[in-house]
Amino acid sequence: MHQVEIATTQETLLDSPEMVLNMGPQHPSTHGVLRVVLKLDGETVIDLDCDIGYLHRGMEKISENRMYTQIAPYWDRLDYIAAVSNGLVWVETVEQMMGLPVPPRAHYLRTILTELNRIASHLLWLATHALDIGAVTVLLWALREREEILKIFERQFGARLTCHAWRVGGMPNDAYDDFNKDVRQFINNFPKRLDEYETVLSENRIWLSRTVGIGVISGADAIAIGLSGPALRGSGVAWDVRKSRPYAAYADMDFDIPLGENGDTYDRYLVRLEEMRQSRRIIDQALEKMPDGPVNAKLPKIVKPPVGDYYHSIEGPKGEIGCYLVSDGTAQPWRMRVRPPSFINLQALKQMCLGHLVADVVAIIGTLDIVLGEIDR
Amino acid sequence: MWWRLSARSILFWERLIAEMLLLSPINLLNDLLLKFFSQETITFFVWPLIQILLVVTLVALWVAYATYLERKISAFMQARLGPMRVGPWGLLQPIADGLKLLTKEDFIPESADRWIFFFAPYIAVASAFIVFSVIPFGPDWAVIADVNIGLLLVLAVSSVGVLALILAGWSSNSKYALLGGLRSSAQMVSYEVAMGLSLIGALMFARTLSLSGIVAAQGSDSIWYIVYQPAGFLIFLISGIAENNRAPFDLPEAESELVAGFHTEYSGMRWSLFFMAEYAAMVVVAAIATTVYLGGWYFPFVYRLEAGGYHNLFVLVSVLVFLVKASIILYVYFWLRWTLPRFRYDQLMDIGWKWLIPSTLINIVLSGFAIFLVQALDGWRGIKTIQALDRGLNLTATGKVIMIIIGLAGVFVTAALLARINWRSRDFNLRTQRRNIRLVNLPKGKPAVQPGS
Amino acid sequence: MALVKSPKPTFVQKLKRFFLIDLIKGLGLTLKYNLGALTDKDAVAGHGIYTEQYPKVRPDVAPRFHGAPRLNMDPETHDTLCIACNLCAIACPEDCIDVIPMDVEIMVAGKPRRKKVLDEFIFDTSRCMFCALCQEACPTYCLELTQDFELATYSRAGFVWNREMLEQGRETVKYTS
Repeated sequence: MHQVEIATTQETLLDSPEMVLNMGPQHPSTHGVLRVVLKLDGETVIDLDCDIGYLHRGMEKISENRMYTQIAPYWDRLDYIAAVSNGLVWVETVEQMMGLPVPPRAHYLRTILTELNRIASHLLWLATHALDIGAVTVLLWALREREEILKIFERQFGARLTCHAWRVGGMPNDAYDDFNKDVRQFINNFPKRLDEYETVLSENRIWLSRTVGIGVISGADAIAIGLSGPALRGSGVAWDVRKSRPYAAYADMDFDIPLGENGDTYDRYLVRLEEMRQSRRIIDQALEKMPDGPVNAKLPKIVKPPVGDYYHSIEGPKGEIGCYLVSDGTAQPWRMRVRPPSFINLQALKQMCLGHLVADVVAIIGTLDIVLGEIDR
Repeated sequence: MWWRLSARSILFWERLIAEMLLLSPINLLNDLLLKFFSQETITFFVWPLIQILLVVTLVALWVAYATYLERKISAFMQARLGPMRVGPWGLLQPIADGLKLLTKEDFIPESADRWIFFFAPYIAVASAFIVFSVIPFGPDWAVIADVNIGLLLVLAVSSVGVLALILAGWSSNSKYALLGGLRSSAQMVSYEVAMGLSLIGALMFARTLSLSGIVAAQGSDSIWYIVYQPAGFLIFLISGIAENNRAPFDLPEAESELVAGFHTEYSGMRWSLFFMAEYAAMVVVAAIATTVYLGGWYFPFVYRLEAGGYHNLFVLVSVLVFLVKASIILYVYFWLRWTLPRFRYDQLMDIGWKWLIPSTLINIVLSGFAIFLVQALDGWRGIKTIQALDRGLNLTATGKVIMIIIGLAGVFVTAALLARINWRSRDFNLRTQRRNIRLVNLPKGKPAVQPGS
Repeated sequence: MALVKSPKPTFVQKLKRFFLIDLIKGLGLTLKYNLGALTDKDAVAGHGIYTEQYPKVRPDVAPRFHGAPRLNMDPETHDTLCIACNLCAIACPEDCIDVIPMDVEIMVAGKPRRKKVLDEFIFDTSRCMFCALCQEACPTYCLELTQDFELATYSRAGFVWNREMLEQGRETVKYTS
């Protein structure tokens, strides 16, 4: 286990001016089993170290002993909130390595369902972030919207959370009968719900004083650390994999990406809310333009990519999630490596937290939107 | 065999009901008790005992069902149902919770300071409940002890509750419980200053510290003091909420990243005593706010019951009016908790010391100036502003209009002065909500693989 | 903690800030929800209350739900549809299926032949991740994941299902009050 760099000694309360505080793995606000060791001067954070690994399940090692089609369900358990996006990375990597053409209807359905998953993930982010800062009602309202999306996933894939959505070459089943109706109903109601969340939070002076100027990271620092996703765009850096290396049907979609200016928590909050609106726009267009046809391609008997290595990434809700696959020509991969966005975003935690108070650390962990399943794999 | 009731017993029941509704004192019960005790014992011991029992039962039930109502109201605000399983609509939920807590294991941590750990919850509950002895639930026999320094007693006794927090945090022998207890008590002490000072504005009109006297003053003036003192009411309510460690000021007890609060080590019945003390303190603040600003048990047209001779009915209806008004303020407590995010601790202390206390001082000065103005204008060029001075400051219509105008102008003056004092404050400079995000349409890159068919 | 730049407020914005309009808007929305919940009306769409009172009200489970596994039988002859091909066990990422075949003698065109049929089928639902790869692999639509999600048992051994449990299904207690 990683040795924490801050010494957790037994100092009596009144002796030294600094205190070492352990925000342990069991904690209601750390979004999973994350251990953060803080060194405090009064209430100000002067040093911070993260201790991860409590959720390590050995996914990359397990996948060296599984066939390519069997690895797909394991990817759902990485970032369990955005399981559909994770599944997409894996199948697209294998398909592109094999040069397998995927029918266009599958591309469009993938786009729609991945964007729905982005909305679901951002809704959960909003729910937990607002809960950490104290607005508990927004938690339940956002989860109510997420419930609608999870119902659509249940009817389409058979599972709500860890969906095992995609197969190499397309999808196992076509859209279910009421798919268009359900998705249309959801996106018709969604903007008004977003306006409701904004009414309670965006102009609220308490929310502003808890999030403006907290956890600032500049664009240059963000690029240096390797941030991606809304954490990067909140600092003003225009980088979105959906635009720069389009996958699925994004090349045909017309959407904008929101960019923040100051790189603080409030900007990231606004960026994610706007991303939900843009996702809704993408789903709307994709539903209009969706072609008919088959949804899966013809596969060889055993899926075997050619010998070599390949890296493919997509824009997941948390950031750029990628897969580096080394194949040795057999039915099981030689090495599979996940590029976890939350793990890399977490590197920025120390820089963002220094100088802030302890209550802000919780807000900053919330704004980075980390999922421990992805960090620890 | 009810038809065999003798004429004498029918007369007894009729008399009892008639007396309970109409007459005061309840002579029949008094005669019954005179058989066992002397009149003095009855007046000074037995009647107050009955009153105390009634008030304690009422408050205990109110506190228990306040927890139930909080859960239901918060559920409705969140588009869900709340407790539904225990009893119809979940009405027996507080009883189920109480029974569960009674049957939990009562342990005291080994390294804790036994006796202080033992006593701290009792101090909290006692101080919260003692206050109810002076609160006027109704006019005549609905107040246990109408002390002529009632308001001062309320403020003093509720301060003792802070002691219980510190003792609980200290005796738990845990670094985090101690820090949590110290933070909570520092917050409570800061907001007590603002609470006490904000009441002075209304006291200038009532001219008495007795709580029944304040209600009588509002009654005789036919006005609720919230009309004269809107700023005072708001400041009192906000400091009351902060005093009770309720949202949006509940960082010490909700933000468990640093401390789980002073009551970490408590479980079972001891914890439920702290919980009851918190809700009882909420009810105290609601009751004081009702008494001083919302007219207490006074409501127009109810006095006609008294005039009609139905004295006891009048008292009961007044008690009901009081409970309804206090419940409205409790609803505001729940409403604020489940809507607003919470303040950070330094922002909380900022608000207490730099915003609320200066505004209470400005409020006192402005109220004093307003009363001086009204007294000076009385009799000048034939304007009559003051009606009477025996039961509080009773003003004529002219006087009331002048007072209301000055009150509203005072709110603006307070705001301007506070803005001047706090111009350096970081949070104050978050003047506008900015939407500094911009939407960008990036040029599309080359996809990794051409989407084939 | 640097001050963030923001433009100077206009008079209207100052008034709005003074009268706590931002807080009141949020409070108004919550009040609307509170009243809407009492009348089961919602401003946007749907209901005022979103609680499903399980277990009194059974939930709506989708037809494609990946629930408890079941071995289907031919509706007329009540023979199992399983041909003991072992494809489901090969497809399972978690190795939780164990297919045990046996040989039986049948007469085909007068000559005795040996045919492989299913003897015992062991499915460990405690290891299963309900990914439905086994359901997709089955060529005869025998192994199917049903809509049963109430799989709790009182012992670890209760999670390992044999052929009989898979064919008959389990009797679960349905609480209705």
